[in-house]
Amino acid sequence: MASRPTVTIIGKDGTPSGATHPIPAVFASPIRPDIVQQVHTGMAKNKRQPYSVSEKAGHQTSAESWGTGRAVARIPRVSGGGTHRAGQAAFGNMCRSGRMFAPTKIWRKWHVKINQGQKRFATASALAASAVAPLLLARGHQISSVPEVPLVVDSAAFEGGAAAKTANAFAILSAVGASADVIKAKKSKKLRAGKGKMRGRRHRQRRGPLVIYDPEVDGTELVKGTRNLPGVETCSVYALNLLQLAPGGHLGRFIVWTSAAFKALDSIYGTTTTPSELKKDFLLPSNVVAQADLSRLINSSEIQSVLRAPKGGAVTKRSGIQKNPLRNKQVMLRFNPYHSTFVKKQLGEQKKEEPKPPKTAETFLSVLKQD
Amino acid sequence: MATPQVSADLVWEVVRSQNSFLVKRKSSGGVQFSRDPLNLINKHSRKYAGFVNDKAIGVVPAEKGAVKVLSKKVEASQKPAKSITETTYSGGKSARKSVLPIVSHTSHIRRSCCQERLPCRPPRGCRRSRSAIRHSYKETKPTPEPKLRGSKAKKAAE
Repeated sequence: MASRPTVTIIGKDGTPSGATHPIPAVFASPIRPDIVQQVHTGMAKNKRQPYSVSEKAGHQTSAESWGTGRAVARIPRVSGGGTHRAGQAAFGNMCRSGRMFAPTKIWRKWHVKINQGQKRFATASALAASAVAPLLLARGHQISSVPEVPLVVDSAAFEGGAAAKTANAFAILSAVGASADVIKAKKSKKLRAGKGKMRGRRHRQRRGPLVIYDPEVDGTELVKGTRNLPGVETCSVYALNLLQLAPGGHLGRFIVWTSAAFKALDSIYGTTTTPSELKKDFLLPSNVVAQADLSRLINSSEIQSVLRAPKGGAVTKRSGIQKNPLRNKQVMLRFNPYHSTFVKKQLGEQKKEEPKPPKTAETFLSVLKQD
Repeated sequence: MATPQVSADLVWEVVRSQNSFLVKRKSSGGVQFSRDPLNLINKHSRKYAGFVNDKAIGVVPAEKGAVKVLSKKVEASQKPAKSITETTYSGGKSARKSVLPIVSHTSHIRRSCCQERLPCRPPRGCRRSRSAIRHSYKETKPTPEPKLRGSKAKKAAE
């Protein structure tokens, strides 16, 4: 392997600090949206609170069917008299104030077990996607002023609670070009459509940058500093969460790394051949293909050398196309060899020569005009 | 791209079903357009998806009838702040005159692509988007007030 690609570590003022760090091997993991989406749907279900309708709903009446012979349907009917309720149908899901169809139960299967290997694969994949600028654009992040992807900010910027205040944290984010994304998230806050408004999901807004830090070096003050910035989320590098790395199952979250967290990735994930230090029995997934650029593959000398030369000349003969003989002279001649003479002699434009009609006989006219 | 494992082909397969630039409408048999500034004909397709491709040109409107030509730098693919070069061509010229410098600009890029034997984009879309932008600058005629007919016309005449 040639020299590993490196990433510049950006200082507090947004200019390169001079230090670089080789890109951890996790960023070369395969990008697999199918795995990420499947794991995401499972994980998104694991924070659900069980709900159901009341066990008794629709059954708090002593209705009995009237049976046949009363010219009404055999559905159970409320007994008694003296009130409008008496005689009304009950229990059925088609009845007013009846029970619902298949009442929801709290013992529904709310949570999904996801294999640990798949979860780790998905996380590695989401991390790799976070270093691909087109994927960040496709997620809708505003990265036009970001100096580099992945964006690594020197841990010195967060040292000693430098980002403990929201204003300071925002200043750091805007210095490194991440403020446009925060502002986008801030402006995007809209009232939710539908009933979710009354169920604790009043607003919906875009996600901004995700700040990933190393709690041992950077401290946890930046969590408090950024928590009032709309859309900005924070996460410890040791407890990465797919729901934050690929919100909605869509790859390419904009991540702001602290340099300590970025360096920690090497030990957390290891490489494809050396196992991770922190995760038991974990090797990074490796790519099936080493080169994913199709045009480079096709144009490579290995492929081109074994291909036969293209058949035919420079101009492809179009077979199966019927040309219009009325417009194309050559085609017309193929059909009708007489056509050239016909055109040359201008036969189509000549009038048919006919002798003058004989005069009407004198006697005929005289007979015709006789009174 | 950061690694050879990530190519424009792969990125396109990831983003073709959903991305922030994609506009889907159910009219006209489910048309798919793109809001990408680097997309020359605003169509959601592999060829014109400028944000996916390594090399791309875009033509976007600028102030006072001018036009900005955006082009992507291949070597700065990992540096979003530096990856796009902007050239502004002033407006207020005839259609032909304003298209020419853009075409020569883009065909220059095209030539350099050809020398490197890399896939390149024709300036065809450039001309088209330039003229589309010109059209958008034109003030549209206000729609005339509808003529009154029937009983309403009689009432108005009184």
